[in-house]
Amino acid sequence: MKPLRLLALFIIPMGLIIAAVPQNKTKPYKLTAEELLGEVNTRTQYVTPDAVADMIIKKDPSLRLIDVRSQDEFEKFSLPGAINIPATDLLSDQYADILNQDIKMNIFYSNGTLTANEAWMITRQLGFNNNYVLEGGLNYWFDAILNPQKPASTSPDEEFAKYDFRKSAGLALGGGATMQTSQDQSATSSKPVIKPAAKKKKAAGGC
Amino acid sequence: MGPLAINEIISENTNLFLAFIIGIGFGFVLEQSGFSSSRKLAGVFYGYDTVVLKVFFTAAITAMLGLLFFSLFGWIDLKLVYINPTYLTSAIVGGIIMGAGFIMGGYCPGTSFCGASIGKLDAFVFIGGLFIGVFIFGIGYNLWDGMYLAKFLGSPKISETLGLTDGVFAFLLIIMALAMFWVAEWAEKKFPREEY
Repeated sequence: MKPLRLLALFIIPMGLIIAAVPQNKTKPYKLTAEELLGEVNTRTQYVTPDAVADMIIKKDPSLRLIDVRSQDEFEKFSLPGAINIPATDLLSDQYADILNQDIKMNIFYSNGTLTANEAWMITRQLGFNNNYVLEGGLNYWFDAILNPQKPASTSPDEEFAKYDFRKSAGLALGGGATMQTSQDQSATSSKPVIKPAAKKKKAAGGC
Repeated sequence: MGPLAINEIISENTNLFLAFIIGIGFGFVLEQSGFSSSRKLAGVFYGYDTVVLKVFFTAAITAMLGLLFFSLFGWIDLKLVYINPTYLTSAIVGGIIMGAGFIMGGYCPGTSFCGASIGKLDAFVFIGGLFIGVFIFGIGYNLWDGMYLAKFLGSPKISETLGLTDGVFAFLLIIMALAMFWVAEWAEKKFPREEY
């Protein structure tokens, strides 16, 4: 048989098969259920509001707050410098470079911790690093940072130190009596430019 | 699972070592198939020998089918496979310069090193020209970087641009390749050359 016919006999059926089957769009999970359960149990994903407030005030360049609530909620209120990635669009390609990177510390937050935790769990299972969750979510943020309660006079000194920090942080972040004015900050927060992550370049093929 | 190096199943060094082994195999097969003769590549242009066209297109189709089937079985994540970004203007200009070089020199960069390894003088001259070209490009980069970087399209896939799935596009490409092979074999009969 002529080589061309032999080739055709082989590659045409292969081509027909590959044209007929659906494309594999599943994303492989990197963590086993046990590994993930271990991380959930040790609560490694949480970052306390105090730590986040400290990073915001110090303008820590590695911090990236990610609001996983809907766009409407994000526009009404968001933390300073936060960007909006609604949990429904989490797997959209345009956010892949933000979520899967080794440089910044991504901190998810939602009103409570449920949606943020869902986002964290999905990204974690995809093998992405450097994603965290704001402990207690925005609700706890309001209580702890923007409206801190003065500890009882019998409390240990650390409690007072924490209270002092929270009070000053709350004032710096527009909390306290002027809690509503913190809306203004969200308006000025600009969305950072999405830079594609540097992919490993390979020597190109060809002849 | 794949790509192996990016998913850290094998180290970067192992990856380079495997590339080295595959490279030696590639060079060996090129030489054994007679690609170290400049007449072979020039023959594609004149129509008397289209082996180069057939070999490289068959290789491309084999790799394409392999990647698509591997992806289907979940053995490789095609999103992690590097695609050269497209700069349309420089792709066209570079294609013309490279094609002219192919016809004049009778080598492509890979086969020229193949020819040099068995001591062909024209291959050495070709490699010399290759480095002169690289040098001129580097020295005069400021003159043509505007054109070099013009019309950046990212890393588009033809199948996405046409709105087809990868599989359907692969099938169409196979049909096109077979038609091209048929024309190539017809050309070999039409423009035979005995003496080379």
